[in-house]
Amino acid sequence: MTRSDQLLDLQNPDGGWSYGAGGSWTEPTCYAILALAAAGPAKGEPLRRAAQWLAARQRSDGGWAPRDAIPQSTWVTSLVLLLPRGCISSSAADSAIAWLLAQTGRESGFAQRLRMRLLGVRTDSQQFDGWPWYPDTAAWVAPTALSILALRKTARATDTHVRGRIEQGRRYLLARRCRDGGWNHGSTKALGYDSDSYPETTGVALLALHDSMAPEVAAAELLAGHQLASCKSCEGESWLRLALLARGRRPSGSTAPNHPRTLELAMAMIAETAENGFNVFLERHDTV
Amino acid sequence: MIRYRTDSAAASSFTRRRWIAGAAAAAIPCGCSRPAGKWSPVTIHRAAAYSEDLYDLMRRLIAEHRLEVRSKRVVLKPNLVEFDQAAVINTNPKLVHAALEAFRAAGAADVRIAEGPGHRRVTLDLAESAGYFSNVARFESLFTDLNLDEITRVRLRSPNSKLDSLFLPNTILGCDLLVSMPKMKTHHWVGATLSMKNLFGLVPGGVYGWPKNVLHWAGIDETIADLHNLFPRAFSIVDGIVGMEGNGPIQGTSRAVGVVVAGADPVAVDATCCRVMGIDPLKIGYLRLSASLNQLTEPMIPQAGETIESVATPFALLPELRNLRLEKAGHRS
Repeated sequence: MTRSDQLLDLQNPDGGWSYGAGGSWTEPTCYAILALAAAGPAKGEPLRRAAQWLAARQRSDGGWAPRDAIPQSTWVTSLVLLLPRGCISSSAADSAIAWLLAQTGRESGFAQRLRMRLLGVRTDSQQFDGWPWYPDTAAWVAPTALSILALRKTARATDTHVRGRIEQGRRYLLARRCRDGGWNHGSTKALGYDSDSYPETTGVALLALHDSMAPEVAAAELLAGHQLASCKSCEGESWLRLALLARGRRPSGSTAPNHPRTLELAMAMIAETAENGFNVFLERHDTV
Repeated sequence: MIRYRTDSAAASSFTRRRWIAGAAAAAIPCGCSRPAGKWSPVTIHRAAAYSEDLYDLMRRLIAEHRLEVRSKRVVLKPNLVEFDQAAVINTNPKLVHAALEAFRAAGAADVRIAEGPGHRRVTLDLAESAGYFSNVARFESLFTDLNLDEITRVRLRSPNSKLDSLFLPNTILGCDLLVSMPKMKTHHWVGATLSMKNLFGLVPGGVYGWPKNVLHWAGIDETIADLHNLFPRAFSIVDGIVGMEGNGPIQGTSRAVGVVVAGADPVAVDATCCRVMGIDPLKIGYLRLSASLNQLTEPMIPQAGETIESVATPFALLPELRNLRLEKAGHRS
């Protein structure tokens, strides 16, 4: 059974995907669409059902919730914007972009920075607008990197405001590198003590910065190569491979899911497609 | 045999299951303050190593605390945080497996292991690295990633934090007995991470992200107390065989204590663990939110097994947390 078939086997009757079992969630549905659409044109009907599932769930504010029961648009909106043309309408994409542009980390807001300044806390690394997982909380590395990738992939990437937010996000990522040059979830220090990076977050952040000429990014690329050699997670490996490929490297070996659930299967397929020259996070698909 | 009250998980579980079936916006009764002197006993047992002896110890714990689990659904909630070669960060899998076998032997209908790590999304890979796959047969079929589980919205009544509700995993809301199995560790934000802080792992990352930053903005001590109010009778089994001191909960160093601390009142268990660690429980914010100062004093917590004095192992504390140090005997709270 191919990975495509395994992934299709996991599709729910409503057209979406769960993380492994149970009801459909936005995140695994988006990754499954990205993987299947990149794998080839033969998956039209499952993809159409998946696109319908997603389209029916856009919220009135333009964003998407992680799943039906949650009355809140969150970071998963960025994943919908990464999908192939035709998954959502142009007007739906416009309102999703507007929602995403309105999100910033709570720590970079004026009120919080003023409060921290009055408390005598340095906020150098908090001056750039990243993206949070959940509204009205701090920005973190993974949602910031995915938002950058999503905005770059939209047709609005030349818009001044969009370009400004992308640049802010890139600066946020550069300011949140760990002492080893990679990225963890976004907390480089706790009580002043340095924290170490993770493979999966180093991979997604490096992918978002793949075209940067900054020496910090070159150092992160070196680290990503080392992390790939010892990585114990399929998802981590997949993100590292995607980033290194985007930087023009050809990492050896291939990624195999340890635990064949939706995200692992999809990410392994997406990394494999990138090895063959098509990176779904950087290039636009044909219409589903 | 220690005395154990019977108004525990079985009664509350009926309510919890009914909440799931009933309404997504069900209200969970909190009731954090309890009459003085009513804690269930806390037991301290010596366990020098992660050895076969733990299987017998876990069976004795269930008997001592008179846990009625026959035909019940039990969820063991270890603390899985980080890929860790030195086996200091995460609850040791041998202890969890010993508990799994003991609850099965006691007649539980179903025993699952469940966790939702706060920073790392790759939970199964993390569990594999921590030794869970090699120590627990068919681990993947027994395990629920609480970050990605089915969810129900639960309203917080009289919350300590700024939150009025939380989405929580149905695996937890539907079980009859939740067993919190933390590692005994220092914590750079709240002083100590034990059975109550371990409940942060119930909050689904699939909803709130990695980390679950809504909890931080709402107040860490306050949300720990709120989660405790939702599960006030979670049974606690603390892995104090080898703990973590210094810059916990991730970057600290190992500290052998050689104990397993257990009880049906998480506040009493955590206060006792703090004393074992040389930390003053009266200075721990979430404990103060969950009980009166008087309730947290040592004489108010019935205890069995080893004495605190006989196993006390002062943990190294970061300079920023040295104000938490328990004063010497004679001045102790």
